[in-house]
Amino acid sequence: MDVNQAKQEHLLALKVMRLTKPTLFTNMPVTCEDRDLPGDLFGRLMREDPSTIKGAETLMLGEMLTLPQNFGNIFLGETFSSYISVHNDSNQVVKDILVKADLQTSSQRLNLSASNSAVAELKPECCIDDVIHHEVKEIGTHILVCAVSYTTQSGDKLYFRKFFKFQVLKPLDVKTKFYNAESDLSSVTDEVFLEAQIQNITTSPMFMEKVSLEPSLMYNVTELNTVASGKESESTFGKMSYLQPMDTRQYLYCLKPKPEFAEKAGVIKGVTVIGKLDIVWKTNLGERGRLQTSQLQRMAPGYGDVRLSLELIPDTVNLEEPFDITCKITNCSERTMDLLLEMCNTRSVHWCGVSGRQLGKLSPSASLSIPLKLLSSVQGLQSISGLRLTDTFLKRTYEYDDIAQVCVVCPYLSPES
Amino acid sequence: MDSSEDAAQRPLTLDIAGVGNEEPEAHAPLEAAAISSQPNTTDVLFPEESIDLDADAFISPQDDSAASGSMMDKLNDQMMESVMISDSPNSEEDDVPIDSLLEQGEDKESLDSKEPEEEKEEEEVKEEKTEAVTEQGTPDASVEPVESSTSLVEKEEAEEKEKDLTKDMVTDTQAAAGTPTPDSPKGQEVKVEVAKATAKEEPIPVCTIFSQGMQPKTLVPDGFQPTLVKSPSFSSGTNETPSKLAPLVCQPSPSLSKFFTDNGTVNPASDFFDSFTTSSSFISVSNPNAESPKAVTPAERQLSSGSSAVPSAEHQDGGTPSAFFSIGPQDSTPKPMAGPAEPAATMTTLQAVFSGSDDPFASALSLSEVDKRYDAWLPSEETRRVLISVATQQVNPVYVERDRLSMPGLKFDNLQGDAVKDLMLRFLGDQAAMKRQVLTANSVEQNFLGLNQLISTKNWRAAVDLTGRLLTAHGQGYGKSGQPTSHTTDSLQLWFVRLALLVKLNLFQNADLEFEPFGNLDQPDLYYEYYPTVYPGRRGSMVPFSMRVLHAELPQYLSKPQESLDRLHSMRSICQKILANLEEGLAEDGSMMTLTQENRQASIQLWRSRLCRVMYSMANCLLMMKDYILAVETYHSIIQYEPQQRVQLLSGIGRIFLQIGDIRTAEKYFQEVEKTCEEKGTGPAQDTSVLMNKAFVYLSQNNYAEAHTCFSGILKIDPKNPVANNNAAVCLLYLGRLKESLGQLESLVQQDPALYLHESVLFNLTTMYELESSRSTQKKQALLEAVACREGDSFNTQCLKLV
Repeated sequence: MDVNQAKQEHLLALKVMRLTKPTLFTNMPVTCEDRDLPGDLFGRLMREDPSTIKGAETLMLGEMLTLPQNFGNIFLGETFSSYISVHNDSNQVVKDILVKADLQTSSQRLNLSASNSAVAELKPECCIDDVIHHEVKEIGTHILVCAVSYTTQSGDKLYFRKFFKFQVLKPLDVKTKFYNAESDLSSVTDEVFLEAQIQNITTSPMFMEKVSLEPSLMYNVTELNTVASGKESESTFGKMSYLQPMDTRQYLYCLKPKPEFAEKAGVIKGVTVIGKLDIVWKTNLGERGRLQTSQLQRMAPGYGDVRLSLELIPDTVNLEEPFDITCKITNCSERTMDLLLEMCNTRSVHWCGVSGRQLGKLSPSASLSIPLKLLSSVQGLQSISGLRLTDTFLKRTYEYDDIAQVCVVCPYLSPES
Repeated sequence: MDSSEDAAQRPLTLDIAGVGNEEPEAHAPLEAAAISSQPNTTDVLFPEESIDLDADAFISPQDDSAASGSMMDKLNDQMMESVMISDSPNSEEDDVPIDSLLEQGEDKESLDSKEPEEEKEEEEVKEEKTEAVTEQGTPDASVEPVESSTSLVEKEEAEEKEKDLTKDMVTDTQAAAGTPTPDSPKGQEVKVEVAKATAKEEPIPVCTIFSQGMQPKTLVPDGFQPTLVKSPSFSSGTNETPSKLAPLVCQPSPSLSKFFTDNGTVNPASDFFDSFTTSSSFISVSNPNAESPKAVTPAERQLSSGSSAVPSAEHQDGGTPSAFFSIGPQDSTPKPMAGPAEPAATMTTLQAVFSGSDDPFASALSLSEVDKRYDAWLPSEETRRVLISVATQQVNPVYVERDRLSMPGLKFDNLQGDAVKDLMLRFLGDQAAMKRQVLTANSVEQNFLGLNQLISTKNWRAAVDLTGRLLTAHGQGYGKSGQPTSHTTDSLQLWFVRLALLVKLNLFQNADLEFEPFGNLDQPDLYYEYYPTVYPGRRGSMVPFSMRVLHAELPQYLSKPQESLDRLHSMRSICQKILANLEEGLAEDGSMMTLTQENRQASIQLWRSRLCRVMYSMANCLLMMKDYILAVETYHSIIQYEPQQRVQLLSGIGRIFLQIGDIRTAEKYFQEVEKTCEEKGTGPAQDTSVLMNKAFVYLSQNNYAEAHTCFSGILKIDPKNPVANNNAAVCLLYLGRLKESLGQLESLVQQDPALYLHESVLFNLTTMYELESSRSTQKKQALLEAVACREGDSFNTQCLKLV
């Protein structure tokens, strides 16, 4: 198009306004008593003020809605809404108007216009209105490109564009940490706890409507963010579930592998995908935002080639009295093992039975349970140690110490009681 | 076992990716509207489209901050090297071919006018830390755990950053697929974490969206200003006042100081001022509202107030000094406090007290009962000791240490401005401005009558001027701060009015400055006991309770809410103590005085309402501090004192929850409102509250159509409801019906300016004008004319957005 044309006044004007939620007008109560110099004057002024709450004029938060005063901040996951108005400023009828709104992000260009058909004509002082919505999915610079083309009465085809740039900021900071549960006693092992720290890095309070963990195929998830009290469960965060700016909150989830995965593999090894966090929040008058994290990954604890876990153990035993434990030995390696069990006494733990017995061959992922008997000669909390497994094929010995703890008490009643 | 746990305990910083397209259900209505395929015909109509900001060629400086999955393949396409990275705000346009740029010369300019701010921000963004956490591992990986490698990249040069990123990056197969398959454990996962250097980066909004680009460069502002409305709304601080203040804190104007010093004897007003200083023997109970008019018998007047002794005297030029400080005979006041029709509750109690008492002494006594009730206050221990020693004549007040006294004085002496007139001069010319007629301090009687006249006509600036004059006459004028002075009931009332008006005018800094000499309002000279000769037998605080409230509230408008809370808490405990004293059968101040049952009840009622006022202030302050938990608790606790405000308070709490975004809890409160309304029985007021709450819930659910229906429903019950009218218009705008919305607001302002020339309505209206047309200035000027006809000098012209 001709360069000179740019200087020409356009017949149409394009106006864009971001539609964040309106705000409630707050008034400033200044009161006096009847005996004060202004008498009822201040009270009357406040009652006459349309923005006050009638009957409770000292209540600051009014009901009057005011339009957004500035562009504000826009955060990832929120919906960008904008009013686009094309107004015919001229005194002639303009024909074939086409308004196009595109959002240019760093990676893509989206068309946001509700309609892409041209408006046949626009009379003077009339306007074409469009409200666009877009859920922002990228951080960084966004440019709203509004293009208007139209035909004048004299048949000239004219065109102009406007660019509106804004930054999309990150609303939340999410950190996660995994804890592996001690899985010695239950047969369903490999419970994982996920702690997610979510920080509000915006400048306004944020109501966390939903923070849930969508588990991957392998896991079932239990949310541990409510405390059951009576019939209603109460949030662990108390009455108000909002986050002030820069506040951080910890969410806790318990993940259990689904039985089919747990049993098939025996143990879950290496890196596994746990799932992702789905976060929905709301701010001023229900302005909504939603984000999901990427897939959370967890490194399963390494159990080595042979895993020894406890299936049965008493928590309290009597001093110098034999008690039974049941160990579960799982072959976590890829090869068959031929195992030999040795039991070494420690200062406090004395194993009963023959040390050095053959357990036989154990194929990969197979496990076997062995009952064992032992006694403790020392009172107090005692650690059970001293089990040695030797793979006779590879002549490799695995040591198992501090497998579990038992409380050893004296069974004899003291004379005074 | 512990060791194996430790290995797995690694904090992991996550990236957050925008929710992908896999959740269309939540936004179905919106997205369906927004994402529609683009017919080919548009390309014909937009010949430049081919040379537009190309998705592939266009890389913004923030490109590296991309975190979404779909960005990954882009980053891996090596297209970055081919792109020039620049932080210049015009870099975007650089990608636009020259000719289209030139064509856009005008528009670009308008954007550029707002760029400086943005530029700064981009500088900061450049420094943002990019943390790329790359993890690699498959389920079949070897036994050794693959430690996550974390590379922290902090670079000035974007190019370097990208290089680094690509190095660390491995193709994310999932992301590349565009539709992430959430549960696939295979493949490599790339995580890019962009932690903005939030500490120093102020999240200033980039305001370019409000471009006025098409407009020729006129006086019209080129964007919304962040602080256009005066309300201390929760989002904006009150920091804008200081800048405004500078010109206001001025030296006394020569004319005025001359007026007071040189020819004071000539000016009739000076006679009036004399009354402050000459006679100190009469008890000045001249505040019309402090008096119990009905019971004032002539005898009692002589006893208690010399001011009313000459009922027929004309105050402007009368010769009796004592007559001037008062409004004079009660029947001459514009709104007589006497009259049997006086609706105020306190007045009726006063009447009850005085009914049937013919004995002037008895009525004088009852008056002092009322005084005692209103003036009661508990001074601090130290002040109390001074007061006792003065009362027992151990110490002459003259010898009380000066630093223990309040020595107030004006800190600036005239505000005399009329922003409306200034704007008229600027936009409408001299002639139009000449038509603007407002009352000034000079055009009214130089007494309380004139003061009230100025206040009720909303000429608060002039009223502040007048209080300044009256205080100057009392010897507390400009520059008198720090000089010993004596207070009277009236001088403190004047101070209260002055400071209250300053606060009403948002001149918080000025109010703070003038409040300063009063300290914590506990100096001995602020109590009647300090003036045994002037106020024989009178006890309690000369400082009106309302002034204490004002004093306590003030710091919150100056970004010191904690100080406000401290003051309010100590006020509350005094109120509670006084109530406790009354309930124990003692007098307000805890002395062993016998009160009649009526007096006790009246006093309890008064102090409960005062306690309630303090609680309101506390709740409001907490709300400003965004301490919503405590604010809600406090508002809730007010209900027990003011059960008749239950509906309003519960609705208010509901709105607080809506502001937070907690719609469910808000609805619970609104249900409680409905229940209360049902109990009260149906009436228009109840229906209005219920509908209003419903509308706000719809609004919070983005359902503007239903919200509009509710607001319209209120208008069927109460067609003149300004809130519903305004809110309905706001909803129309969100529904894309700008013209209708404008039409509605415009007709409201024209039909009923008394109700709709309110700054919130005008702000909405001017915002819509700006959105509607390039000729918004003319329309705003028309509004200015409407304002000029009706509003006083205290009108906040910012809402017109003319400058």
